[in-house]
Amino acid sequence: MSQHTLELRKLIAEALPGLDVVLAWTSGFSPMTSTPLFIATDEDLDRLDFGPMHVQNLAAYLPSLKGRKVGIVTRGCDSRTIIELLQENLINRDEITIFGISCTGAINIRKVREAVGGEKLRSVETGKDIVSVTTDEGTHTVPLHNVLMDKCYSCQSQTPLIHDHMVTERTGCHLTGEAPESSLDRLDAMEPAARFAFWEESMDRCIRCYACRNACPLCVCKDSCVAQSRDPHWLDQSDTPREKLMFQAIHALHTAGRCTECGECERACPMGIPVLAMKQALNRRIKHLFDYQAGMDEESTPPLFMFRQQEEHIKERDAR
Amino acid sequence: MTSNPPNVYLPDMATIVEVVQETPAIKTFRVVLNNEERMRAFNFEPGQVGQLSVLGVGESTFVINSPPTRKDYLQFSVMKVGELTGRLHRLKAGDQIGVRAPLGNAFPYESMKGKNIVFIGGGIGMAPLRTLLLFMLDNRADYGDITLLYGARSPRDMAYGYEVEEWLQRKDMHTVLTVDNGTPEWKHKVGLIPNILREINPSPENTVAVTCGPPIMIKFTVQALQELGFNDEQVVTTLEKRMKCGVGICGRCNIGTSYVCKDGPVYTLAQLKQLPAEM
Amino acid sequence: MSTVRFLKARDIAPWLEELSRDRTVLAPAQHGGTIVFCEFDPARGVELSQLSTTPAKRALLPPCETLFEYETTKTLEPPYKTHVELRPTLPQGKAVVFGARPCDARAMQIFDRVYNGEQVKDPYYTARRNNATIVTLACSEQDDTCFCDRVGGSPVDATGSDVLLTPLKAGYVAEALTPKGEELLQSTSFMKAEGLRQEALNARNRILEHVPERSSFLDMERNLLSLFGDLGFWDKTAEACLSCGACTYLCPTCYCFNITDETRGESGRRIRTWDNCMSSQFTLEGSGHNPRPTKAHRMRNRIGHKFSYYPQLHDKTLACVGCGRCVSNCPVSFDIRNAVACAIQQADAAREHAHD
Repeated sequence: MSQHTLELRKLIAEALPGLDVVLAWTSGFSPMTSTPLFIATDEDLDRLDFGPMHVQNLAAYLPSLKGRKVGIVTRGCDSRTIIELLQENLINRDEITIFGISCTGAINIRKVREAVGGEKLRSVETGKDIVSVTTDEGTHTVPLHNVLMDKCYSCQSQTPLIHDHMVTERTGCHLTGEAPESSLDRLDAMEPAARFAFWEESMDRCIRCYACRNACPLCVCKDSCVAQSRDPHWLDQSDTPREKLMFQAIHALHTAGRCTECGECERACPMGIPVLAMKQALNRRIKHLFDYQAGMDEESTPPLFMFRQQEEHIKERDAR
Repeated sequence: MTSNPPNVYLPDMATIVEVVQETPAIKTFRVVLNNEERMRAFNFEPGQVGQLSVLGVGESTFVINSPPTRKDYLQFSVMKVGELTGRLHRLKAGDQIGVRAPLGNAFPYESMKGKNIVFIGGGIGMAPLRTLLLFMLDNRADYGDITLLYGARSPRDMAYGYEVEEWLQRKDMHTVLTVDNGTPEWKHKVGLIPNILREINPSPENTVAVTCGPPIMIKFTVQALQELGFNDEQVVTTLEKRMKCGVGICGRCNIGTSYVCKDGPVYTLAQLKQLPAEM
Repeated sequence: MSTVRFLKARDIAPWLEELSRDRTVLAPAQHGGTIVFCEFDPARGVELSQLSTTPAKRALLPPCETLFEYETTKTLEPPYKTHVELRPTLPQGKAVVFGARPCDARAMQIFDRVYNGEQVKDPYYTARRNNATIVTLACSEQDDTCFCDRVGGSPVDATGSDVLLTPLKAGYVAEALTPKGEELLQSTSFMKAEGLRQEALNARNRILEHVPERSSFLDMERNLLSLFGDLGFWDKTAEACLSCGACTYLCPTCYCFNITDETRGESGRRIRTWDNCMSSQFTLEGSGHNPRPTKAHRMRNRIGHKFSYYPQLHDKTLACVGCGRCVSNCPVSFDIRNAVACAIQQADAAREHAHD
């Protein structure tokens, strides 16, 4: 077991008696998977693990645990989610204990599969800057840089921006080299007609499972989702790209300027649809118009939550 | 080439022949199927339900509120709670609705023959009880003493006012009315149903109790019945559950292995106790 | 003796193209890195190397199906009365499901018991079922999330198939199991192969030898019933669940549906669509009461249905075929095998305790 995992366990063990639950990770059904761990007892704590395969954004559970004393293991990107939730009063700061740990990147298992040409995975081991993938055909060594989650390439901070406790046995390391082409890059390069055809095709295989929506830490409509509502009846229940794209557009608009690009939506999608790209495109626009990024500063107000008589970058009265 | 089975999802279109405003929240719809042949052949047993459609809105489940002994029309009493019931309430005589019926099981009226019957209805829960009550009154000789305890929040919320008067007059049944909140004009009892039931103190000897109403009312009524010595086989109720297909396929209305739309909605307390506690 | 033929791998696409002329062909294909069961497209070909992400169930239960169309008109005589016309839209045409796995084919029998039962028959389902021919591909090996062997199946199980394909050399030995299967194998795309019957059997036996010895999940009803009241167990089991529908919609045996009316102006259609018992809205009643208000309740119902309620009603058949799609696609890697094993453990422990 790594030093940082041991230290993390120690920090949690000390704080656990004063908390209702601590959110962390443990291995899933195989060493290549992870599942969120809700630690309430020492027995639970024994199962804690941490590494590049542990990818879920645990902050997604915080709003539903409001009112309880919750600890949470937090990397850099996760901390932005927590900050955004605090900005919107969806959680209370004094109910949360943040165990910070620096991150060296989260692995995108789909990219691992692509990197080995679709061969059946047997195991995945991470080393320094490389990933050793054993398949039915043999072992491949893949640069870590090639198989990270999209969000890692635009990581603002590997170290959490807020924390109550910090694991010192580990420092984040910065990514080097060019980021591989992302879905948003590919979409940017397309003409509008091609872009629309791309989304039509992607939405065709969407199964309306709402994994993207339910995995989103910032979704507040939840059970009153417009995609399942008859009043207003903006979407019908049929299985067409039109209805499904409408839902995606609405969800992206609902999270514009709030989304911290944690990537859970895209990771959760069982059909491999690059839904994060839509949110990234809107966030880019928000950055341009309001010079704002979600989840960076506890005190600031998301731009779509407020109104200024004269916006700096929106020249309504200028004909130019 | 196998022949096509009947289409269990296709409603019969029906015309509303009369609408009665029972209470501010409850309307009764009397409907006749447009297809005369099918209306003539329509057969059902007291307790069975139907899915009423307002095309464009959807379907919802209501007990067939008229007894099989009176088939000039099919009656459904509807309490306004949501989208479909709201739209139903805006319909008038001459309007079209869809009917998918009969669905579900019936009250065990055969095995109740020769016994004394105690009806305990709360609010809209009186709807299924009315069906069985009228059926029994139409077959009066088959049943022993009949007692009806009908309670509502206030006198305004009592449905079937026109019939209740008749029931009060009848010598072949004992009717007790109660409300939670009385008014100066109210001549009958004031009190919660379980308490009035205890006052009436029906004997469980050769008796079956049939009850329906809001879940909380059923809970406390069953308690009172148990205090009075009724065993689980002697208590019959009918459940409300969100239904869609109505034929035990779509998986929505199950309580454990039992599909309320198919194996219910009528259950004895004994049967309910066999099922997982998931109301 | 049933017909045995051989299908060369390179003859698959031409054969499916030929079939597409007079019937719908559903087969697994690559779509943006995901293997999806969909209508055969010669430009895309088929992808048979791994289990598809979506199951073959859409051949019998499509994600969206119109039950009937309705149209409202105003009559002239008598004036201003409405007339509603209903037009049922039963499915037509034949279909071939190519490349289903033994788990997919077995799952269809689970639908049969419910949708084509003795008391009630669903005419939309029976029309599709009678017109569909299932060509199943036996699996060369199990994935780490496969557990068909623990729920009464196997990687080479032929239950529910009209034709069974066994991988051999540069193609597949095709064995007809039903008259529908016989009809398909008459195609000239297949080569004669009587002599390969034994080789195919040997190949399947070799595959079976690799299936590990492990405990089964059959006969769980008593255990799960005894745990029903233990909401604490279900709370802990379901704590990471997001209440989405990935497991339900990817499951070959899940069959719950919703019915909604979708109107455009004076006309519309009543459609039925896949629904998901893990959603908080599933049992929500008009009054606001919800019999399954939390994830724990809904998880209890889902696992209860698959491993207890359905078997109780249907001769101990489990409503789970062990395909593992729910496990490998769950965003939080919920593992139903774990949950069921824990339930067995917990129930056993409770029984021991009761005896102390």
